[in-house]
Amino acid sequence: MKKKSKKNKNTKQTSFYFEDYLETSKKNKMLEKTQSFQDRIYLLFFFFFSLIFIFSLKITLISLNQKNIYSQEAPNANYSLVRRDIVDRNNIIISRNINTYHVAVDPKLIKDKKNFLIKLRLNFPELPINEIRKKINQKKYFRIKKRIDQEQRDKFWAIGEKAIKFEPFQARMYTHGDLFSHVIGQVDYDNYGISGIEKYFDRELKDKNLINQPLKLTLDSNIQYIINKELNNAIKVFNATGAGALLMDVNSGDIISLISLPNFNINQRNSIKDKKYINKITKGVYELGSIFKTFTVALAIDHKLVDTHTIIKNIPKKINCSIHKITDMKEHPKNLTVEEILVRSSNVGSVVLAKKIGEEKYKEFIKKTKLTKNPTIELEEVGVPHKLKWNNCKLETISFGHGITTTPLQATALYAAISNGGKIITPSLINDRKINKFSKIISAETSMKLRNILRKVVNSEYGTASLADKDGYYVGGKTGTAESYGDKKNRLNTFISVFPANEPNYTLFVMLENPKLNKDLIYNYRGIKTKAQYNTSGWNSVYVAGKIIERIGPILAINNNEFTNQHVVEKFN
Amino acid sequence: MFKTKFIISSIIFVTFLIVTSTIKNKTRILEKKITTLKVNILVKEKDINETQLDFFYLSSPKEIEKKLNTIGYHNYQPIAHSKIFLDISDFTKIHNKTSNLKNLNEKKIKKK
Repeated sequence: MKKKSKKNKNTKQTSFYFEDYLETSKKNKMLEKTQSFQDRIYLLFFFFFSLIFIFSLKITLISLNQKNIYSQEAPNANYSLVRRDIVDRNNIIISRNINTYHVAVDPKLIKDKKNFLIKLRLNFPELPINEIRKKINQKKYFRIKKRIDQEQRDKFWAIGEKAIKFEPFQARMYTHGDLFSHVIGQVDYDNYGISGIEKYFDRELKDKNLINQPLKLTLDSNIQYIINKELNNAIKVFNATGAGALLMDVNSGDIISLISLPNFNINQRNSIKDKKYINKITKGVYELGSIFKTFTVALAIDHKLVDTHTIIKNIPKKINCSIHKITDMKEHPKNLTVEEILVRSSNVGSVVLAKKIGEEKYKEFIKKTKLTKNPTIELEEVGVPHKLKWNNCKLETISFGHGITTTPLQATALYAAISNGGKIITPSLINDRKINKFSKIISAETSMKLRNILRKVVNSEYGTASLADKDGYYVGGKTGTAESYGDKKNRLNTFISVFPANEPNYTLFVMLENPKLNKDLIYNYRGIKTKAQYNTSGWNSVYVAGKIIERIGPILAINNNEFTNQHVVEKFN
Repeated sequence: MFKTKFIISSIIFVTFLIVTSTIKNKTRILEKKITTLKVNILVKEKDINETQLDFFYLSSPKEIEKKLNTIGYHNYQPIAHSKIFLDISDFTKIHNKTSNLKNLNEKKIKKK
């Protein structure tokens, strides 16, 4: 600086102008220096602000982006469901995904093959060691165990071998095992639905926006269990080959229970090809027999052709129609009221009523009820009823349920419609769904008359379903002997009940496949201890339905004074 | 002049250096904490899910019935609600009422 100041004090300066020039250049130099200094400071500011900006951006990204962190820092802790839960109407879990692992081996990473195989044999004696040895020699990546739990994973981990790899995998677990096998269905190893609800709602169950919301069904686990247990008992008692039951809310069409036996454990992955495992309620197509007499009577009353107490005189013992001889199982009086025709389950009486109704009206009824179309329900497993041909004697045979096929699901839904005031309902397994406007099949007045008759089938002297008359539940219903379409040897004893008959809330369908007469079973038949007289539904399906209603009634909160006045206490002796 | 500016710029530089490194470290610590917490949450979520599944399995009607059978279902019997008294005074009141009614009835019968 001193040197510079000396330079500025130039003694050889000759003119003022020159002096002035020097001053200007000095000032300019000073300005340049300060500017460059400022630039440096700006650069520093820019540099630090950029750094701060980058870090603040990173903080923001961290708070927003979560998944990247887990995948980099903790790949094993990645837990995001790939399929929604399925729950029953009480929010009890029916199926849920859990994290499991497949164990694989990468032979290229094995240092000591012999030692590795010994360790495997010692820790997992159940593994096929010879096969594993062969695969190791082939030097290709392979799985040695599928769907292992955390405990087994730790055991494999403890071997301390680099070659053992764990592939995270989500398995579907069903808490109730075989209880909902025909409704829920199964998923494959890649979590794709392959049957039942799992298949029908596959896309919805995988919807990532709804992943934390369970799919709520109308089914009730407790009721399902009770009915399942009673049906299993019935199979043993009556030596039946199968059974089925369906409990439905008559006003909404909600299916509270759907059981088809035999069933299978859906936690175990077996390929089931045997026909006996079909869903008998939705896929089984049957000639449902006497159950159809209710529809005949309903039509006759609704068209005001007869009333409940109209006497049909001179009913013949036998009607010949083409090659068919239509008779009754028991001998009935010559003159019967319309009510008695249904209560006594007279085939000939039904034919007489059907003739009064006429083919056109019956055709219209079947068309409106869609009895012979595919049933509507949220399941893939639905049966196709046989196409109806209105040839000779069709009206006569249909009047008592022969020559027409349908599924138990459709028949039960129609019973619900007949008892709920005539509103046709759509059976459903999904809770809180949109319910469309109901179309009417019969008037409310006819519905009330029908309910009274159905009640008499259970509680009157000549009724065929006395064993279902349980105190306090006002059960009404109709028995039927059905045949499997195309297999006449396959006999089905059925009973459709509505309860409480004065103001129905529920309809219950019970069927037993090929039941036998149990000669050792003692019934309480109208207060008398007796043994079974016939192998008809009145002596087996009705008996089972009565037992079911007695047990599920309190859960369904039907006003039963006898139940509410009872509490359980421990015995003192 | 230059000296002061140099000092100022050095102070700014050092300050920013310290601030930046502190922020960077804090960010890293935060990042680690967030990750650990999130992993813990995920593990807990997984545990809850599996525990719920266990709960629903163990409280399923089938399992409850099994347990009930081991406890001894037959040791229990139904009793009418009217026969359950929560207080001894309730019991004595009703007992006195019924005995009075009985006495009255007996007297009526005797008179007849």
